[in-house]
Amino acid sequence: MTEGEVGLGRVRRAARVWLAWRILTHDKARTILAIAGVFMAILLIFVELGFFFAVPQGGMLLYDNLQFDLLMTSNRYEYQAQPGQFPRGQLDRARAAPEVAQATALYFGSAKWRSGEDGKSPDVFVIGLDPRRPIFKVDAINRQLAVLEQLDTALVDSATRPMFGPLTTGRIVKIGDRNVTIGGRYVLGTGFMGLGVTLVSEQSFARLFPYRSLDLVNLGPIQLKPGVDPDQAAAELRKRLGPDTLIFTRGELEAREVAYWTTRTSVGLIFGSGLIISFVVGIMVVYQTLATQVSRQLPQFATLKAIGYRERSLDGTVITISLLIVIVGFVPALAAALGIYSVIRDETLLPVAMTWPRLAAVFVATLVMASISALLSLGSLRRADPAELF
Amino acid sequence: MLSWTGTSLLRRLWRPARFVPLAWRNLLANKPRLLRSSGGIGFAVLLILMQLGFERAFFNAALEIIHLLDGDIFLQSASKYRFATRDPFSRGELDAARAVSGVASAWPFYADWFDVFWKNPFDGKTFLVRVFAFDPDHPVLRLPEVKGRLAQLGDPDTAMVDRHARRFLGMDRGAAQSELNGLTVRIVGSFSLGPDFESDGTVVIGDRTYAKLLPGPGGGPPGVEAGVIKLRADSDPAAVQRALRAALPPGIAVLTKEQLLELERRFQADVSSAGPIFAMGTLVGFVVGMLIAYQIIYTDLTEQLPQYATMKAIGYRTSYLIRVVLEQAAFTGLAGWIPAWFLSVLLYRAVGELALLPMRMTADLTLISLGLTLGMCLISAILAVRRVIAADPAEVF
Repeated sequence: MTEGEVGLGRVRRAARVWLAWRILTHDKARTILAIAGVFMAILLIFVELGFFFAVPQGGMLLYDNLQFDLLMTSNRYEYQAQPGQFPRGQLDRARAAPEVAQATALYFGSAKWRSGEDGKSPDVFVIGLDPRRPIFKVDAINRQLAVLEQLDTALVDSATRPMFGPLTTGRIVKIGDRNVTIGGRYVLGTGFMGLGVTLVSEQSFARLFPYRSLDLVNLGPIQLKPGVDPDQAAAELRKRLGPDTLIFTRGELEAREVAYWTTRTSVGLIFGSGLIISFVVGIMVVYQTLATQVSRQLPQFATLKAIGYRERSLDGTVITISLLIVIVGFVPALAAALGIYSVIRDETLLPVAMTWPRLAAVFVATLVMASISALLSLGSLRRADPAELF
Repeated sequence: MLSWTGTSLLRRLWRPARFVPLAWRNLLANKPRLLRSSGGIGFAVLLILMQLGFERAFFNAALEIIHLLDGDIFLQSASKYRFATRDPFSRGELDAARAVSGVASAWPFYADWFDVFWKNPFDGKTFLVRVFAFDPDHPVLRLPEVKGRLAQLGDPDTAMVDRHARRFLGMDRGAAQSELNGLTVRIVGSFSLGPDFESDGTVVIGDRTYAKLLPGPGGGPPGVEAGVIKLRADSDPAAVQRALRAALPPGIAVLTKEQLLELERRFQADVSSAGPIFAMGTLVGFVVGMLIAYQIIYTDLTEQLPQYATMKAIGYRTSYLIRVVLEQAAFTGLAGWIPAWFLSVLLYRAVGELALLPMRMTADLTLISLGLTLGMCLISAILAVRRVIAADPAEVF
């Protein structure tokens, strides 16, 4: 292939985009409609995808805000809110390992918050921790940890639902059978832990749940010494601790939570099917537009055929139109999705967020959508017969 | 006479035909386009139907157990904020209720959602399940299969399981025995209920087994989750409800079934994100459908503009032409809605089976989706019809 030929190919491709652009801008009102349709379809894909990932992300909320390299759990671990229990002694054994810098205990419990609105007693998720060891990444928690050293004092998540009544510092509420003072608030989000979440010290936890022993721990976040490889340390600890406890690296934990929410619950199916339908709707919208354009421009296409354009080249034009529509529709859809994500975050407290892989995935899906629509509408193009034209 | 009436009826039915066939023929004039437009609108409608179906399923799953309670009036702790939470009251209150005139019977319903672990009999793994219990001599659940096994449930350490529970619980494969919190129980049968968004599976046991699993404070009898009251046939429900309120301490709420359902519905609508999530999906489906419909109608009008102008020129009124356009839009909508409705019935069944959700096509879902479909097509038609109004016979040619 000579340089000249390559150059010609480039010119042709540019010309094809130009032709597609001219066809699209010929009837602006119609093109704007098509783009609006594509915009909605792509937006819906973003939204469904957002929910699809937001649910497991909601399950990851606590872990994302905890400082640890490895997490120790019981071998009965299901997901974060149902982790099972293991003996506290396992944490001491882990601490004795040369790789481990720190291993702390977290306790989970559920209790009646007997000071709700309208005389109701909603369930509150109680997390017990050692206030001398800051293991949260949340500033507001670490700053207020000292408050928890006071017995029967709790920090309350500000995302706790209104039915729990005011969360003002100093308010005394009844949790289970005990009076507990609200020592402050922090912002983390309740995720799937429940309608309300509070933090208390281990000692207060033991008083709230007198039938539970502090010897049984729910989660054991482990911090490793600097430079230690988490995978290797995890393998070492597994050998050291035996099969009754599980050791997760952060990656393994995330995979486990995502798998739980997408396969064990209806979440995957609900948003998965929404995703598929919005994809098909997107195809229908683009196809609708293309088929209309092609049938309207049929004489012109036939003329192009007559003056020697190959079918492949005309197909290329249709595909280019299709790609142009979706690319133009993609940009505002992305902008609107970012807006809707923030509304959803505020309204539902689910951590819906845009990530680069997600953006790329939707963009690729959009291109696939455009290609399928284009292939579907090529049939009408075949009917362009110069002989029938005039 | 009969035949005359028949002809007249036929003529009456046929009379709108003076304008119907035009819209109808326009619709059928281009079959591939009809297929395309009904496909486009159909998928938008399918999206709407799926979103609405999920929303209903979400609420229905939460309300299912309340529907199954076999009573007229219900007692529960006044501080109970939702059905699926433990907030028991003392069984003694039921004796007080029984003494109220107009009450035919008052029996306990026991339930727990967060303390009983079921062992999958096939892989030995344990999972949290919800447990319902009652006195087998006084059943309070309207589950026919359970009612057929009351004698067996009366034996200690027996259980019935939900064969529609999530599969990883292993309740659907007819095991003969398993464990609840380590207690070996004989499985005496199964029923079909399905999980909700809180629990993966359900176990029904007799009150004696329940007392063994979850004894009350100090090892005494367990607390009652709901008191199920039946009224005498001749009693006035409102009066009995008032009398019960007077006879019972303020810590006990006395509710009709509708009130109990409403409490749960309000709770779910308040705290769950399901309402807004599915409402947003429905709205997007509607807007996409509208855009597709507008595009279809607009294109069609553009193509038929000379014909409309000609009709205007030969004396047809604009109002008549507008009616043709609206009718055609309605037909297009129907052409999309009908296949979408059938497809959604199939999808409801498939998704319902796979996700174990109570997805049901109901008359009101049918009507709502039909209304939304016609709405989106007619709004689009009204927006697009300005072209016909503006069509100037003099300019067309």
